[in-house]
Amino acid sequence: MKLSLLLDIVVGGLITGGIYALVALGLNLQYGLMRVLNVAHGEYLMLGAYLTYSLHVGFGVNPLLTLAVTAPLAFGAGLLLHRLLYARVLSGSETPEALESRSLVISFGALFALQNAALLIWSADLKGYGYLSIPVRMLGAVFPANRIVAAVVALGLSIAFYVFLRRSLAGKAIRGLMQDPEAAELVGIDLGRVHAICFGVGIAMSAVTGSLVSMFFELTPFMGLPYTVTALVVIILGGLGNVAGSVVGALLLGLAETASVYVTTSDIRPIVSYGILSLILILRPAGLLGR
Amino acid sequence: MARALHPRAFALVLFVALLVLAVAPAVLPTYARSLTLAILADVSLAVSWAFFSGPSRYLSLATGAFFGAGAYTTALTGTRLAWPLPVLAGGAVAAAMAIFVGALALRLRGPYFAIFTFGLAELAKHVVIWFETGVTGTVGRLILSPPGPLTLYYTVLGVTAAAVTAALLLRRSRWGYALAGLGADEERAETLGIHTTFVKIAIFASSAALMGAVGAAMAPRWTYLDPQVFSPFVSFQTVIMALLGGATTVAGPIMGAVFIGLASEFFLLRFRYVYMLALGVALIVVTLALPSGLVGLRPRARR
Repeated sequence: MKLSLLLDIVVGGLITGGIYALVALGLNLQYGLMRVLNVAHGEYLMLGAYLTYSLHVGFGVNPLLTLAVTAPLAFGAGLLLHRLLYARVLSGSETPEALESRSLVISFGALFALQNAALLIWSADLKGYGYLSIPVRMLGAVFPANRIVAAVVALGLSIAFYVFLRRSLAGKAIRGLMQDPEAAELVGIDLGRVHAICFGVGIAMSAVTGSLVSMFFELTPFMGLPYTVTALVVIILGGLGNVAGSVVGALLLGLAETASVYVTTSDIRPIVSYGILSLILILRPAGLLGR
Repeated sequence: MARALHPRAFALVLFVALLVLAVAPAVLPTYARSLTLAILADVSLAVSWAFFSGPSRYLSLATGAFFGAGAYTTALTGTRLAWPLPVLAGGAVAAAMAIFVGALALRLRGPYFAIFTFGLAELAKHVVIWFETGVTGTVGRLILSPPGPLTLYYTVLGVTAAAVTAALLLRRSRWGYALAGLGADEERAETLGIHTTFVKIAIFASSAALMGAVGAAMAPRWTYLDPQVFSPFVSFQTVIMALLGGATTVAGPIMGAVFIGLASEFFLLRFRYVYMLALGVALIVVTLALPSGLVGLRPRARR
C-alpha cells in the first residue's frame, strides 16, 4: 500500500508538473527576455481551453487536433498585443523599474478585460467535456489517459523548446538577448523582432496548455489566475530566464502540491503555492537562482 | 484638476463637503444615502492607498487583504463588542498585518512587492477558507444585530474624514517628505539619514489601518460574509481609482473614487461584464497615456 501511494504521488506530481512546465516556460520567456511581468498569462490558457471546448463540442473536432488552431491563433494574438501594448511600454520607459511596473499594471488591465470578455461569451457556468478518460494502469497506480497524454505533450513541447534554444541560431539569438541585450544588439540581433516572436510563442504556450487541460478540468473564466501564480512560483524557483530551471521547478512544484494534497485536503493546494511564493520572495528577494 | 487650488482653499472645500455630507442623511432618500456610503468607502480606500503608494512608489495590491481582515474582524467580534469598537479592532488587525508584512516585504522593489502583496490577499483568502471549512466547519458568517444604517453612515464618514486628514497632514510633514524622498531614490534618502524602513512600515501600517477600518465598518452592510471578501477586485479597483485621478495628490484619488463609484453604481449591476471589461481597458489606456514615472503615479515633475 505504501509503495502504491508513493507511486500515485510521484506519477501524479510529474503529470501536474509537466503541465506547469509549459505555462511557466511561456511566462519565463516574457519575463526573462523583456521584463514584462504578464499577470494575464493564465488568461490565455483560459481562452485556449474555451477555444478547444467550443471547437470540440460545437464542431466535433478532436481536442488534440485543436492545438493546430489554438497555437497559431494565440501566436498571432501575442504579436498583436506586443505591438499594441508592450512594445510602447518597452520603448517608453526610462528605467527597468518603471518598465516592470507599467507592464504589470497593463497586464492587470488585460486580465480584467479578457476574463470579462470570456464571461460575456461563455458565461460563468462550469463547462466541460469528456475525452480519453479511460483509466490506464501505470506501475500499479491508475491514471486517466487524457492526463497522461496532456503531460507528455506539454513536457515534450517544453523539452523541444529547450533543445531549440540550445541548438538553433534563433535560439542562440534569444539566449544572447537574455544574457546581455546591448551586446546582442551590437552583433546585429533585431531586438524588437525577437521580442515580438517570443511574446507570441509565450502566449501560444499558455493557450496550448489550456487546450490540453480542457480535456480533464472543468472550465470557468476564472481558471487562469491560479496558473499565473503557479507559473510565477515556478520561474522564481527555477530562476528568471532559466529555461531548464523552469522545467525542473515545475516538476518539483507539481510533486510538492500533489504530496500536500494527499497529506491533507485539496483546499491546501493554493496555500502551498502562495506560501512557497511568499517564502521565496522573503528569503531570496531576487529569486531562488537570481539572475 | 484641484491641483491649481491653494492648499487652504482646498482644505476649505473639503471642510464644506464634510459639513454637507454630515447633514445629508437628513434630506437624502435611502437609496442616495446608501450610494453615498458606498462611495465614501471607495474614497477612503483610494486616499489611504495613495498616501502610501503614491509618494513611495511601492505598488501595493494588498488593499483587499486589509479590507477583508477588517470585515472579518467585525464578523467575529460583532456580537461581543459595542459598535465603534469592531471598527477600531479591524483597523488594529490590519495594521498588525501590515507591520508584519511590511517588515518582510518592503525591501522588495518594483514588481516583486506588487506580486508579494497580491499573493498576500490570495493567501489570506485561502487560509480563511481552509480554516473555516476544516476547523470551524462553516462556509461563511452571519453578522447578527448589525448597527442601524445611520450609525454605519456616520462611521464610514468618520473613517473617510480620518483618511483625508491623514493624507493632508502627511503631505506637508517631515514623514511625507521622507516618504517622497525614498520614493525618488531610496539609497540617497538613506544616506541623508532617513530611517527608510521605519518610515515605510509606519506609513504602510497607517494606510492599512484605515483600510481595515473601512472593511470593518462596511461589513454589517452585507449581513452575510464569506472569504470572498478578500477580493483581488478591491485591490485592483483601488489602484484604478487612485491612478485615474492622479495618485500623488489628495484630490486625485477622491475624484477617481467618486467617478468610478458612480460608474460602478450605474453600470455594474446592469452590464457587469461589459463594465469590468471597460475598466480593464481603461487601466491600460491610463497607463499608456501617462508615460512618466511609475505608472503615472507622478503625472508631472513637482518641485
